[in-house]
Amino acid sequence: MSSPQLEVLLQTLISGLLLGGLYALIGIGMTLIMGVMKIINLAHGELMMVAMYIAYGLFTLFHLDPYLAVFIAAPALFILGVLLQKFLINPVLKVDSILPENQVILTVGIGMVLANLATVFFTSDYRSTPVDYATKAWYLSDFWKSSPIELSLSYAWSMSFLIAVAITIALWFFLARTDTGKSIRATAQDNDAALLMGVNVGKMRVITFGLGSALVGAAGCLFIPIYYLYPDLGGQFTLIAFVITILGGLGSTVGAIIGGLILGVFESLTATYVGMGWAPVGRFVIFVAALIFIPGGVVSLLRRQKWGK
Amino acid sequence: MRRFTFCLAVIFLVSLFSSTLFAADTFNLVIPLPLTGKQAKFGEMQKRSYEMAVEEINAKGGVKKKKIVLSFEDSGAKPETARAIVEKLIDVKKQPIIVGEYTSACAKAVAAVAEERKTPYLVVASADDNITQQNYKYVFRQNAVNAHYSDGVLDFLKKVVKPQTIAILYESSAFGTSGADAMVKDAGKLGMKILLKEKYEAGSVDFKPILSKVKAAQPDVIYMVSYVMDASLLMKQIKELRIDAKLFAGGAAGFAIPEFIDNAKDAADYVISATLWTPQVKFAGAKEYAEKYKAKYKDYPSYHGASAYSAMYVLKDTLERAKDWTQDRIRDSLKATDMKTAFGPIRFEDKEGYQNQNFMDTLVLQVQKGEFETIWPQQYASKKYIYPIPKWRERK
Amino acid sequence: MGQMKRYAPLAILGLLAILPLVGLSTYALHILIMVIMWSVIGMAWNLLGGYCGQVSFGHAAFFGVGAYTAGIVYSKGGASAWWGMPLSIVFVSAFAMVIGFICLRLRGPFFALATLAIGVILRVTAENLTGLTDGDLGIMIRERTWVEKTWYFYVILILAAITFYLVKKVIESRLGYYFVAVREDQDAAESLGINTTLYKTIALCLSAVFTGLAGAFYTNYMGYIDPKVVFALHDISIVTIMIVMIGGVATFWGPVIGSVIMVLLAEVIRSIPKLGAAHHTFFGILLIVIIIFLPNGIMGDMPKLRRILRMGKSS
Repeated sequence: MSSPQLEVLLQTLISGLLLGGLYALIGIGMTLIMGVMKIINLAHGELMMVAMYIAYGLFTLFHLDPYLAVFIAAPALFILGVLLQKFLINPVLKVDSILPENQVILTVGIGMVLANLATVFFTSDYRSTPVDYATKAWYLSDFWKSSPIELSLSYAWSMSFLIAVAITIALWFFLARTDTGKSIRATAQDNDAALLMGVNVGKMRVITFGLGSALVGAAGCLFIPIYYLYPDLGGQFTLIAFVITILGGLGSTVGAIIGGLILGVFESLTATYVGMGWAPVGRFVIFVAALIFIPGGVVSLLRRQKWGK
Repeated sequence: MRRFTFCLAVIFLVSLFSSTLFAADTFNLVIPLPLTGKQAKFGEMQKRSYEMAVEEINAKGGVKKKKIVLSFEDSGAKPETARAIVEKLIDVKKQPIIVGEYTSACAKAVAAVAEERKTPYLVVASADDNITQQNYKYVFRQNAVNAHYSDGVLDFLKKVVKPQTIAILYESSAFGTSGADAMVKDAGKLGMKILLKEKYEAGSVDFKPILSKVKAAQPDVIYMVSYVMDASLLMKQIKELRIDAKLFAGGAAGFAIPEFIDNAKDAADYVISATLWTPQVKFAGAKEYAEKYKAKYKDYPSYHGASAYSAMYVLKDTLERAKDWTQDRIRDSLKATDMKTAFGPIRFEDKEGYQNQNFMDTLVLQVQKGEFETIWPQQYASKKYIYPIPKWRERK
Repeated sequence: MGQMKRYAPLAILGLLAILPLVGLSTYALHILIMVIMWSVIGMAWNLLGGYCGQVSFGHAAFFGVGAYTAGIVYSKGGASAWWGMPLSIVFVSAFAMVIGFICLRLRGPFFALATLAIGVILRVTAENLTGLTDGDLGIMIRERTWVEKTWYFYVILILAAITFYLVKKVIESRLGYYFVAVREDQDAAESLGINTTLYKTIALCLSAVFTGLAGAFYTNYMGYIDPKVVFALHDISIVTIMIVMIGGVATFWGPVIGSVIMVLLAEVIRSIPKLGAAHHTFFGILLIVIIIFLPNGIMGDMPKLRRILRMGKSS
C-alpha cells in the first residue's frame, strides 16, 4: 500500500471512529426508550433539534460554549421528556388498542409540532454556533516532522467524542450501580417480572423517557459545533438512532456504543471506497442484516462470549 | 357518523367558496412557496422579497391603479401540494398568472398544470434545465438554467486559473446532478481532466472520507454543487484536512448565501462561487433592494431573493402592457417582456432548445475578508479577484 | 339496517361516480382524486397492518416501485405510462415476495423497522441507478393523457372500488380469519397448524400490489416522479400509517375516513391564511388529540365518539 493510499485509509478510520462515538450517544437514548417501553419514537431527532436550539440560544445570548450548554440542555430535555411521557405517551400506551403501534402517530405528531414551533419561533434560517476552534486540528506532521503521511484530528470532533464517551461511562455506572438504574434494566428485560419484584414500572418508564431525551439532548449540544441547525433536521438522526439500536441490541448501552462505532466506521469506509452516494444504502443494508442474522444485536454475540452486561 | 360526514362536507364547501371573494380595485396574487420543510429557508427569503416589491409597487399606485394584494400558500416542497395550490388558483380563484415555487420537482408539477390550463407561469428560482425544454408555451423562466449557472466560473477558470484537473462533488438532488453534469460537459471543452465525480446525500455530517480521497487525487480545482449548508461543512473540513487545491469553486445556492460565511468563517476565505446576482451588481435598483433587505432582516439576500423581488416588477410591467387580464393576453405580454430590473435585463427567448427562457450573464463571487465580492466578469467586478490563493498552512 | 349497510358502499360509489358531472372545479377534483388514491393505499396497508398485524413502515417502497414501473415503461420503453399499471402488478408482487422472504421472519417492531429500512434502501438505489431511473433528475411525462381530470377520477375510483371489494372479500373469507389469527397470536396460530409465513406473504403481496397500482396511477396523474417524492419515508410511508390509524385500524371504512382527514382536512388547515407556516403545529396537535381520545381511530372507536358527541350536545 503506497503512502497516499494509507493516508486515505487511516484518515477514513479516524473520522469513522469519531463519527461513531457521536452516533452512539444519539443511539443510546433511543435504545433505552425502545428497550424499556417497546415503542418506536419517531420524535427522537426532533428532541435533539430542540436541545440544539437551546444550545444555540445560549450561545447567541450569553456566549456560552455549546459544550457547557450540555449542562442546561440535557436537564431541560429531561423535563420535556418526562412531561411528554406523562401527559401524552402514557395515556395512549395504557389503553388497549388493536395495534399497539398507534403510538407512532403520537410521536409523529409530537415531532411535527416541535419542528413547526421551531420554524415559527426561530424561522427556517440555518443557524450555527461559530466557535473559533471549529476548524482547528492537530496534525501528525506537527509532532513528527518527517512523517510520510499527513493525518489530522479536529479539536471540535475530538472534544465532542470525548464528552460523548464520558457521558456514556457515567450512564453505564448509573445503570449498573444505582437502584434506579437497576430497576430500569429490570424493566427492559422483563416488564412483568420487574413488576412482580416490586419495581415501580410506571415511574421507571417516565424516568427512562426523560433520560433518553436528555441523552439525545446532550448529543445535540455536541453536534452543533461541528454541524449546523435548522428546524427540519430531526428525521435523519432518528433513522440513525434506529440503526444503532438494532445493531447494538435493544436496551443495551454497551451494544449502542459498539453499534455506533461500527456504523460510523462502516459509513466512512463505504463513503471512501464505494461512493458517498451509496453510504445510506450501506447503512440500511447492515441494518437489515443485523435484524435478520443477529436479532439480539451485537451485544448478544458478546453475551455468548460472556463479555457483555 | 352522519353528523361527522356533514361537518366535513361543510368545511370542504366553505373552504372552496370563502376564498373566491373578489374586490374590484385590487389584484389578488397568491404565491405557492415552501414555507415548511428543508427548503423553507429559500421560501422565506423569497416571500420577504415578494412582499418588499409589492409594498413599493403599491406605494407608487399599484398596477393600473389597482393595488396588488399578496398572499402565500405553503407547499412544503411537496409536488402534489404545489399542484393542489395551483389548481385552486387557476380554477377557483381565477388567478390569470402563476408566479413562484422553488424546488425543481414542484416547479415541474406546476409547469405541467399551467401549460394544460393555458395559464402563464413565471418560474423564479428553479434551476433544473428541462423545465423550459418541454415545448411549453406558457412556462417562462426568469433565472438562468442550471447548465449556464457555472458559465462565469468557467470563464474565470479559462482566463485566469487555467487548470488541468478537476474534482466534482455534488449533492444528490435534481439541482446537484444537473449542475455536476453541466460541469462535466464544460470541463471537457476546456480540456480539464475529471479526477473524481462523487455524489453525497444532502445533510451529511462527515465529508472527511470523501475529502481525503480528493486530497490523494490532488486536483487543481475542486468544484462543489450544494443546495444548503453542506457547503460550509465541506469547506470547514477541507480546511481541517488542509487540502491545497489551486481553487475552490462552488456552484451557486449553498455557496452564495450569507450563512455560508457565517458558519464556515475563515474556511470560506477565497472560495469562489457561481451566482446569478450579487448585492454589488450595477443593475438599477439592486443596491437599494439589497440594503433595504439587510436593514430589515440583518443579512444580504442571495439571488433567490433578488429574482423574486424583480419578478414582481416583471409582473407589474406585464400587466400594464397587457390589453386585458386574460390568460392569453398576459402570456403574450409576458413573452414581449424586455425590461431592466434589479436582477438584470429580462427577456424571454427561445434558443438552445429552451423556450421562454431568460438568458443572463452569470457572475462569480469570491469571499474576501469575510464578505462576498463580485470578481467576474470584469465589467461587474466590485473587487479584483485574489489568485493564487494562499495555502492553508500559510493562512493565519 | 343490515340492508342499508350492505348497499352503503354501492350508494357511495354511485354518488362519487356522478360527482364530476355536477361541475366540480378541477381543484376540488384534484383533492378528491388524492383522497381516493390515499384511500387505496390505506386500504392496502390495512390488509397487511390492520388485519394481519404486520405494521409496515415501508409502503413507500411498493408505491415507488409501482410509480417507477410506469415511469420506466414510458421513458425507456417508449410506451404509454398506463402500461405501468398492469406491469406494476407483476413487478411489485415479485418484489414483495423478496421483501417478504427477508422481512416477514421478523416480528413486531423489528418487522416495522426492517420495512422502514427497505424503503430508504430503495430510494437511494433509485437515486444511484441513473441508467435506469435517471436518478435525481426524475422522470417527466411530457404529455399527460388527458387535460380533463374526469378520466383520472374514474380510473382511481374504479381502482378504489376494486380494492374495497377485494379487501372485503378476502377479509370475509377463510383467509381473513387466518390473517386475524396471525395478528392476535402468531404462536397460537402456528400451533393450530396455520402456515403463518404463507398467509403473511399473501397479505404482503396483496397489499403491495394495490399500493403499487396507486403508485403507477400517481405517475400517470402527476406526470413527474423522482426518488425523493415517491420513496418518501415521511410523506408516503408514515402518512399511510397515519391514514389507517386515524381512520380506524381493521375496519373497512377506516382508511377512507383517514384519508379524508389526512388529505382534505390537512388541505383545509393549510389554506387558513392566518395560520401561515404554523399549520403543521395545528395539524400535529389534531393528530395527538385524536389518538389520545380515540386510540383505535375514528371508525374503530365509533361508539366512544358517539358518546362524546352526545355528551357535548346534552351539556
